[in-house]
Amino acid sequence: MSTRVDPNFKNTLMGYGRGDWNECFHCGNCTAICPLSENGFLFPRKGLRAIQMGLKDKLAGYVDPWLCYYCGECSETCPRDANPGEMMMTLRRYLTSVYDWTGLSGRLYRSFAAHLTVVFFLFAAIITSFLIFADFSIPANAEGIVEINKFAPHGLIASLDHILLGTLSFFLLTNILNMFIKVIIKDRSVRIPFSMYFIHVWEAIFHFLTQARQLKCEGKRTYWFSHWFLMSSYVIMFILIIFFLDWFQTDQIHPVWHPQRWLGYYVTAGLIWGTIYFMIGRYKKNKEMFKFSHHSDWIFIILLFLIAFTGILIHIFRLNGMALATYVSYTLHLAVEVPMVVTFVAFSKWSHLAYRPLGLYFANLKKAALRKQYNMQVAPAV
Amino acid sequence: MNNEVKTGVYFCKYLNGHPDSLSLDELVSFARGMPEVAIVWEPAGLEIDDPGILASRIRENQLTRIVVAGDRSGYVKPAMSKALALAGQDPASVVVASFREFHATRRKDMDLAKAILACAILDVPFELAALPDESEVNTDTLIIGGGIAGIQASLEIANANKKVFLVERTGTIGGHMAMFDKTFPTLDCAACILTPKMVEVGQHPNINLMTYCEVKGVSGEPGNFKVTILKKARRVNLATCIGCGSCAEKCPAKAPSEFDNGTTLRTAIYIPFPQAVPNKYLIDAESCTYVKSGKCGVCVKICPVKDCINLDEKDEEVEITVGNIIVATGFQVFDATRAEQYGYGKYPNVLTSLEFERLVNAAGPTGGYIRYRGQDKKGNWIFSPDNDEPRSIALIHCIGSRDENYNKYCSRVCCMYSLKLAHLIKEKIPDAEVSEYYIDMRAFGKGYEEFYERIKEEGVKIIRGKTASVKESNGQLLVRSEDIHQGRIIEKKVDMVILAVGLEPRNDADKVAEMLGLERDKDGWFAESNYLADPTATFKGAITIAGLCQGPKDIPDTVAQASAAASRVLQSILRGKVKKDLSEIPLDTILKNARQFSPIKIEE
Repeated sequence: MSTRVDPNFKNTLMGYGRGDWNECFHCGNCTAICPLSENGFLFPRKGLRAIQMGLKDKLAGYVDPWLCYYCGECSETCPRDANPGEMMMTLRRYLTSVYDWTGLSGRLYRSFAAHLTVVFFLFAAIITSFLIFADFSIPANAEGIVEINKFAPHGLIASLDHILLGTLSFFLLTNILNMFIKVIIKDRSVRIPFSMYFIHVWEAIFHFLTQARQLKCEGKRTYWFSHWFLMSSYVIMFILIIFFLDWFQTDQIHPVWHPQRWLGYYVTAGLIWGTIYFMIGRYKKNKEMFKFSHHSDWIFIILLFLIAFTGILIHIFRLNGMALATYVSYTLHLAVEVPMVVTFVAFSKWSHLAYRPLGLYFANLKKAALRKQYNMQVAPAV
Repeated sequence: MNNEVKTGVYFCKYLNGHPDSLSLDELVSFARGMPEVAIVWEPAGLEIDDPGILASRIRENQLTRIVVAGDRSGYVKPAMSKALALAGQDPASVVVASFREFHATRRKDMDLAKAILACAILDVPFELAALPDESEVNTDTLIIGGGIAGIQASLEIANANKKVFLVERTGTIGGHMAMFDKTFPTLDCAACILTPKMVEVGQHPNINLMTYCEVKGVSGEPGNFKVTILKKARRVNLATCIGCGSCAEKCPAKAPSEFDNGTTLRTAIYIPFPQAVPNKYLIDAESCTYVKSGKCGVCVKICPVKDCINLDEKDEEVEITVGNIIVATGFQVFDATRAEQYGYGKYPNVLTSLEFERLVNAAGPTGGYIRYRGQDKKGNWIFSPDNDEPRSIALIHCIGSRDENYNKYCSRVCCMYSLKLAHLIKEKIPDAEVSEYYIDMRAFGKGYEEFYERIKEEGVKIIRGKTASVKESNGQLLVRSEDIHQGRIIEKKVDMVILAVGLEPRNDADKVAEMLGLERDKDGWFAESNYLADPTATFKGAITIAGLCQGPKDIPDTVAQASAAASRVLQSILRGKVKKDLSEIPLDTILKNARQFSPIKIEE
């Protein structure tokens, strides 16, 4: 089988992150120091080699970037300052754009202006539609509580949510299918028995829920906690507003011990903690993985932070009967939420939430199949 | 005829914006101030890409010759030649004034740059106008550092019947080479080559050997340096000590032996090693009980020679006058504790190559048997002859070399000495498993590649891949590395790890450089005046460098460079004159000389 070489691949990749990949002299330090790298899935050096050689097609089916959690050990000890950790991050961005068949992802990644334009366009669209369709003059009720459902009925918002969910799910699922084709189907070296797909699926679920693999990166427990707290908060928020909006967005004030209240607090706390942790880190550049920030990283955390922040504002204004302030915060809340979801879920950084567990799943499938094929001694990754 | 010559000066853009550049404005105004110059173009003032336009500018100013000045002025010369030809002038009358010559740019020496420019404008070779003054030379030579480079240079000069002062900081000459067990690629015993030379130095009538001394200050000018030397209190009379060693037998104070790289203990009154030259004892003030507390004096009582040991001796300074100085101050090895991932200093059986060199030496801590390092009763890490021998040993290359986090350069000797150590292990423990982890195998010298092949045939496992970490696992050491040729990660349990530490300039190289007025390169080694053509000379007149202090090199290269440095010194002694520094010639003198020799005369 022939391998196609793209000599300009390095330049293509430049838009997705910072690249010092010409520096690498292949000493193998990064692969050996990596706590996650193992036989069969050797990274990051192999990726650097593929980039230097311009093996574009091979990289498209490369699952290893999703197995890396960027502890930064490789970049810290790299004798050439080639930054292999950032290379893996860059490849994750690139692979996201490879899986995305619409081509939108690549545009958002390569151009800060394009991403910003889309965000501002959606932001303006939400605000305009609220200004046109919503009534900002509804007063608070007799008990001094602002009734949001009168301003924005949960049924209407939920159905709009479902339309958004349907569209984005379509894109995300087709992207995942694309990933599956590139990683599994096109890899002729391994044949995966059908039953294996079911045996290993728990690994993907377990990993998605715990992100325990990240704990293998030594000394990154705060990082793991912050990341997991942020992720779990976001997932809960997502489930609440997509499937249980009628329960979540009520005008009835529940007591503090009620799940609706403390779930809301948990989500807010997670988002605020996580986003501030990452913002401080990225600003101070105090860890290897924060040393380089792509524009998608910044837009992502800032939007997430604003979502949590406007959420808190809604809560405070509503309880204090400040009707107009509540409606304005609610409008802003949606106006940052929608661009965040639209640009990031299927086309940019947020999709790693799906690709990471799937990447691990595919890797484990391959490993198990290879083990069966060659009776190889390869330990499964957890 | 002469008044027809009209010179234009063009400054290249390369000078502008260069971070280390000279001041362009100052050079431009200097050129404008010279009456021989018709017009001065600044980089922006002339479009040089089109020879046609260039030729018309030359024609309208009626120029007959052009001076191209700048850092890389040679690049512009062809364009100027073509333009001159198009303008009907001699295309050969383009003169380049390159400020990179004589390192004017690097040294940011404005006067030197102006002198280069003026000589180009006046069409006089710089060397003709800037003839350094010569002064009478004192035929004595100072050599700083008593390693193999200093020894070799001393012998070369002394054998030519000229007097040498050889100043060595420690109690003996010999340096690092004396610590080595074998040399590569011939596997000669290092001591067998070195000690006869050491003895020759010690006995040579023309060599004034000053061990346990340090050069404190240098003043004066080339050919006539006044050197202040600190004679550290040896506390043992060099003339009367018979080297019997009875003092050391009874001495109660202990300190780690410098010669054995800390792997053994020595007493406070000690001889660095049995073959030391001079073969006389000395007292280490830092560990001596008497010096520290005023009580003890056992050595004085036991010494069979009357008044040989004087515990109250003080440091003294002497001044000597020399004509030339050879700097051969050598190197230090990379401090392996800096690379924490290899566990040096944490695990007793992770050794540096220099420690292993002592361990494997027949005169070393275990008498040449390779043994584990363990703890003694006091908790010191020592090699004990009673221990078992390790069954598997890993050698890790490039510790502190070729690494952006430490030293970027290749230390040049580590690949070869690691192969040599692998051979020595195989020689002493034939069934031991020896593996070498390397990035690139640099077997560059005569017979080195053959040596590499030979070691491979001896059954040493040579693995391409830099080791990432060494960890402890069930009393063994776990070496984790990628095997790049095989495409897999290997985790190997070994009994002992040897770190091939790189070479570094000495910690106090900056002080030496300041004292002697030497320059250092970006890695901290002493800068030679021309790497290719003049690797022993420095920018200072009558000061030459030899050996490792100029950059990493192996023993043959060190010896060759030491001989070359000696030949430089002998050259000036035989001529009876030595050139002064270029930078000491005043600009006015150069200008006066240049105008005198110049074919271009301005009619007053």
